Formats: sequence, C-alpha cells, structure tokens
Amino acid sequence: MFCKLALRNVTRSLKDYAVYFLTLTFGVCIFYIFNSLESQWCMQMLAQSAHYIVDTILILMDVFSVFVSVVLACLVLYANTFLMKRRKRELATYFLLGLPTVKVSLLLVLETLVIGLLSLGAGLLLGVLLSHGLGLLTMSMFAFYPAGESFGLILSGKTIVKTVLYFGVIFLVVVLFTGLSVSRARLIDLIQGGRKNEELREPPLWQSVLTFLLGVALLLIAYTMLLVRGLLYIDPLFFLMLALGTLGTLLFFRSLSGFLLRLVKVRKGLYYKGLNMFVLRQFNSRIHTTYVSMTVICLLLLLAIGVTACCVGLNHTIGATTDASAPYDFTIQNYSGDVSPTDIPALLTENGFDAETELTATRSCDLYYNDAGITVPGQGSSDVVISLTDYNALMALQGRAGLSEESLPQLGTATLVTGFSGVGAYLVVDDATAATLSVRRQIFVGNFAGDPQTAETALTAAVQSQGFAQTGSYRLDTRLQIYLENMGTKILVLFMGLYLGLVFLVTAAAVLALQQLSQAADDQKRYAVLARLGAPEGMRDRAVFTQVFLSFFLPLALAAVHSVVGMTAANAVISVVGQVDSVQSSLVTAALLFVIYGAYFLATYFGARTVVRGNGLRTR
Amino acid sequence: MEPILTVSHLQKVYGGKGSRTQALSDLSFTVEEGEFTGIMGASGSGKTTLLNCISTIDRPTGGSITVEGTDLTALRGKALSRFRRERLGFIFQDCNLLDTLTGFENMALSLTILGVSPRVIEGRVRETAGLLGLEGVLDKYPYQMSGGEQQRVAAARAILTRPALVLADEPTGALDSKAAGQLLRQLSALNREEGTTILMVTHDAFTASWCRRILFIKDGVLYRELRRGELDRKAFFAQILGVVSMLGGDSADVL
Repeated sequence: MFCKLALRNVTRSLKDYAVYFLTLTFGVCIFYIFNSLESQWCMQMLAQSAHYIVDTILILMDVFSVFVSVVLACLVLYANTFLMKRRKRELATYFLLGLPTVKVSLLLVLETLVIGLLSLGAGLLLGVLLSHGLGLLTMSMFAFYPAGESFGLILSGKTIVKTVLYFGVIFLVVVLFTGLSVSRARLIDLIQGGRKNEELREPPLWQSVLTFLLGVALLLIAYTMLLVRGLLYIDPLFFLMLALGTLGTLLFFRSLSGFLLRLVKVRKGLYYKGLNMFVLRQFNSRIHTTYVSMTVICLLLLLAIGVTACCVGLNHTIGATTDASAPYDFTIQNYSGDVSPTDIPALLTENGFDAETELTATRSCDLYYNDAGITVPGQGSSDVVISLTDYNALMALQGRAGLSEESLPQLGTATLVTGFSGVGAYLVVDDATAATLSVRRQIFVGNFAGDPQTAETALTAAVQSQGFAQTGSYRLDTRLQIYLENMGTKILVLFMGLYLGLVFLVTAAAVLALQQLSQAADDQKRYAVLARLGAPEGMRDRAVFTQVFLSFFLPLALAAVHSVVGMTAANAVISVVGQVDSVQSSLVTAALLFVIYGAYFLATYFGARTVVRGNGLRTR
Repeated sequence: MEPILTVSHLQKVYGGKGSRTQALSDLSFTVEEGEFTGIMGASGSGKTTLLNCISTIDRPTGGSITVEGTDLTALRGKALSRFRRERLGFIFQDCNLLDTLTGFENMALSLTILGVSPRVIEGRVRETAGLLGLEGVLDKYPYQMSGGEQQRVAAARAILTRPALVLADEPTGALDSKAAGQLLRQLSALNREEGTTILMVTHDAFTASWCRRILFIKDGVLYRELRRGELDRKAFFAQILGVVSMLGGDSADVL
C-alpha cells in the first residue's frame, strides 16, 4: 500500500520530478564517461606513449574527478530541495490526514529511492553508450596507430561500481537531508508554502559593501597566490587557494544583488523605468538561494574556459614541434660504436633490408668524445664532437647551410638526428682534429626510397633481428614513429581538454537552464499580475529576457576574469613544453562558449517566455 | 453630462450549440462620473461575467459597453490593453500584490508600467498612500502586512493611475469585518473627496451598504435598482436585505 502510494506519487508528479530526474541522469552519465575515460582509454594511452604530459594530466584529472563529484552532490541536493519546495502543499495534506512524521519521511525516502534507481540505471546506460561513441570517435582518429588492440568498447565494471558507490553516498545524503527537513517542517509553513516567499530581508548597506569588499579581497589573495606559486604544486596551500577563490566568488555573488539594487535605486530614472524595479527585486529575492549555484556555475565555466583554452593552445604547440624533431625519415644510432664499430648499411643488407635500393640520401657519421678538451672561447665546450664534413653533409640532407673551415671550432645546436639523441650542444671541429679523437657513437641517417610505411616495417624488423642484437646496442627512430607519438599526445591533449571543457560548459549551462525554467514556473503568477496591471507583452518579454540574461552572464563575466588569471598561471606550466598560442586558443574557446552557452541562453529565454506567457489574462 | 460607463443590451452566451449558458441576457445601465455603484446578485446571476466584460478581460456576444465615449467592443489588441492600462483600475478579491516588491514599489509599479516620468512617481505614491492611510506599510513586503493593508495597497495601486473607472471585484471577500469596514470607509471617502468613480461587485449586503446606488442582477437581467439618497447606512442596509431576500426567488416561487 505504502509502496503503491510512493510509486503513484512518482508517476503523478512526473513533471515535477523531470527536472530532478534529468539532473541525476545527467550527473551519473557524466561521472561514468569521465571515470571510464580515465580508467580505460587514458591508461592504455599512457602505456602506449609514455609522455610526461600525460602524468600531469592524470593528476589534474584526479583533482577534477573529486571536484566533479562534489559539484554533482551539490547539484543533486539542490534539485532535491527545489522539488521539496514544490511539494509543500502535498506534504501538508499528508500531515492533515494524520500521517505520522515517520511515515511521511518513509514515503519520501521510498520516492527518492525509486527516482534514484531509475536515474542511476538510465544514467549508466547513457554513459556506456556515450563513452562507446567517444571510443569509436577516438579510434577513427587513431586509425593508423600502430597498435593491434582496439580502444574503448569496454564496459568498465570498475567504473560502474565506482559510480554506484559515489551516487549511493549522494543518495544517502539526500535521503538524510529529506528526512531531516520533513521532521523539522511545521504544518503552518507547509500549508502556506505556496504563498510565502523566501526571506526578504534587505541587509543594511554597510553589510552589502563589507561582504562585497571581503569577497573581492579574498579573490585578489587567491589570484596573487596562483600567479606567484603557479599551478603545478598540489599541496595544502593549493587547496587553500582554491578555497579562498571559491569563498571569494561566493561572497561576491552573495552581495552583488544587494549592491546592484542599491546602486540602481539611487538612479531613479533607471529604477522607475518600465519593469526594471520588478526585475531587480526578483533577482534580489532569489539571490539567497541562487548565489550558491551561481558560484558553482561560475567555477564550472572557469574550468570550461580554462581547460579548453589551455588544451587547444597546447595542442597547437605540439603540432608545430613535430617536424622540428624529425629531419630525416629515420636514424639508426649505434651506442656501442666506441667499442665495436660496425658498418650499419652493410649490416642492414645482411639482415634482409637492402640499404642500396630501399634508401636514398643516406649518410653514415661518427660522433667523437672530446678527448682533447677542446673549448670554444666565449661559447664553452661539449662532450660530443662532430667533424665538419659530417656536419655539413647532415645539414645538406636537411637542406640547411653548413659551416666553413674558418669559423671552427664552433658550438652547434641544430638537430643532428631524428628522434632522441641525448645530445644538446656539440662541437664542430675540422676533419683533421676529429681524426685524432676516439669514436663515441655511430649514426646512420637517411630517407626511404619507396612507401615509408612498408619500408619502416622492414627496417624495424631488420634492426630488431639477431644480426643487430649480436653486434651492438642500436636505437632506431623514424619520422613516422615520432609523428604518431606526437599525434597521440596531440589527440590526447586536445580530446581531454575539449571533452572536459565541454562537459563543464554543458553542465553549467544545463543547471542554469533548469534553474531559470523552474523559476519561470514560479514567476508565472507574478507575470499574470503584471499582465492584469496592463503591462504590454513586449514589456513583459523584456523583463523575462533581462532576468535570464542576468543569471547567465553575471557568472560568465566573473568566470572570464578568473580564467584570464588562471590562464596566465597555466601558461607558465605549459611554457615548459611550449607557449600557449593565446590568441588562437582564446578565439576557439570564445567560439565554443558562444555557440553552446548562447544556444542554452536562447533556449532558456524562449522556454521561460512560454512558461510565463502560459498563464495569461484569461485564467483567474 | 455624458455618463462614464454606458452598458446597453449586453449579452453574453457561454458554450457552443450543445450546451448554451445565457450568462447575461439583456442588461442596460449607466454609471455617472463620481458614482459609487454596487452590483449585487446571487451566485450564477452573471455579475462576475458583467465585470469581466467591462474590464475587457472577456468579450460580450452582443450589445455594447462604452467608457468615456469609447466603445470597448470595437477595441482590439494593443489598443485594448492600452485602454485597460490607462483608463481602468482594478481591485481583486485576492489582492494580487507582487510578493517580491515592497508596498511602495507595488504602488509605483502601476505608474512605471504607464511610463510616467520617474520624477513625479514618488510624490504621487506618497500622496495616494496618505489618502488610504498606508504611510506605515510603504517599506513592508506583502507578507509583513495584514490582509486589510494588502487590500488597501491594491486599492491605492488601482487609483494611482487616475483611471476613469475603478472596478472592484469582491474587494472585502478575504477580509475580516474590521478590515473590511476600514477598506470600505476609505473607498467611500475616495469617492466623496476625490470623485473617484467606483463600480463594485459584491454578494455581501453589509459591503453593499457603503455604496450610493445598487444594481441587483438576477438570471442575467437587471432585477432592481436601489439608491441610497438621504438614507443613513443602517436604513439602506435594511432595504438591501429586503431585496436580497427576494433575489433567490420571491414568494411567488414558493409553493
């Protein structure tokens, strides 16, 4: 009987529950995608190309992951509080019928459970499907990746368990919260729930000003800490900085509406114009419940802007550096060239790779130890030496200018080999001097004559054969391999950044949209009064627009300021790898933000307008 | 002198072919400037329909309504809402104050919607608030006011725009007798001292006794008309009660 009532309640108030249900499903879905991405796709990438950026990204991802779950918990609680508010009358009826508090609590707990299970199921399903889709997309980008195994398409049991666990805790909190709020509710408040407004205390001016100043001061402290300390040190101070920033944002939004109201009130021409007074009062009356969500939305937007901008910029940098580190199709290095020098081309031919026909523009060179302790006055010295003939030959292969005899000895820094050389600066000396030094390492560079893909496979097979393994310690780097490695990092960074950024952006926008639409439902009555007072439709539409606009663009404005500071700090981190192309990345981010956020804004405005218009003049 | 409101041969039929409900059959009357007129009738007599038609919320099926020489049935769309905004004032049973605005702002809103110059708004609101004894609630929110205060703020809001006609629909319906008395005393004072023309719909004889003239509607037609003249309120009240007792049906219907 009791379960039946709970079930019927859920189906009956489906419209009310829709907001709640969507929020939960969306949350579960995001959480699953996010965590399954971390546990399956990224780990595989990490194993494939051990690039040190990935480590940093994984640390950041862990921080984000915790942050995301906290944000989701707040979201669910918020949605639940909203739902409870809408059902006050219904609860009052139960109490009036004589249902004891425990039973009412139990009823609500059952309802929460039903909705929770439903949304958990739906969210996981959606999450698995979407992460599937993302996996396929990634695979198509990696079609040429030289790895036999497939990406994605794995149902991550670990992630499902993790999701269920996390959301189980969140539901538990919600259930406790619901039970508590019911047991503390007073019947008179519930009955008048529809009529009574939120607390409308107008705080004294000095209080608004003080809160505002405190918020700004906290933000400035957090900014300074971020700029001075940088982004990379994740220690207690880092979290203190996050806390200060969050608190500052919170206080800023808490005091903003009161501040704004005071400011406009002084300017009577503006205050007493059209529905300005009404809009401002609406905004102010809501701030007590909306400032928390505004803060969350602002921080989400900050993440979206920051992550997207940094990753797009970083991606650009990586793309530009690909060619610089691979001047020839391949390089073979013999590390044991000092003790057992070999003829690498001959060895290749012996082991099944015809170096004569398959390769063009080859060159064998030696690198020498600096036995003589040669130094270049004013430039310094190096442990690695190369002869002028070899140097000029390598430069000619790269299509660059060589050196002349007169300028020797000289310290050089131009890339000599494809791939990893372990050589920074080196000395270029004349051939006679070089002949007196002992050989350190042999290198053999060249380009493929035919199809690079097949040639590379054959070359790799030859270098890995017994003939090579028995004669020394060799290293093979090919342009294709470096390209793919860079490509992998590039796609990883871009994908992660865009993915995270978009998820945060969509979450923020969706929350705002839900909030505004539900508020519009509350506003319906007020707009009906305005209509009866004779406010023309255009005037009312403008008021709706201003309301939606304020709630969408105030958080965006502060998030933009945050992200300018944040990106300055992020630049310092990324400049280890390369400079973020700030103009381009800012443009890309702005475009993405504009399209998604703008679309949500417009959809919300039109939705809210329809809701508000719904109760026109005729209904009384 | 031209009457403020002329209702002639007003008809209103609800429903389609299957179930026709004749709410108003053939109703004609006029209201002169400065009158405080009451409209009484039993439930279902058509008094709310009449008020809806005059307030342009509903459209009559036949006849005409003229306010200050403007035929309301000829007005459409923007002209109609403009007319409603500028020439009519409303007081409803549920006072319809905006709960996020203070008393002062609730009153000022009707002026800002009209586009009245911001410089004169404060003065006019304070003046009207003084007339209705609302100085104490200007900075209060609706939920901090009593029911009577809320209704008086609504009344102030209705007369602030200086409308040709104030329409009141059961203004005392949600008030206790003391608050109702206070509101009516003030409405009547407004009528006497400021010359505000008020048309009030009520089913309560006590409320109606504050009017100068009462129209009784029965089954969609004008049934009786009473004028207070020189009578005191007590005598007028007794007279009203007499008519009201006949409204549900007279002795001819018994047996």
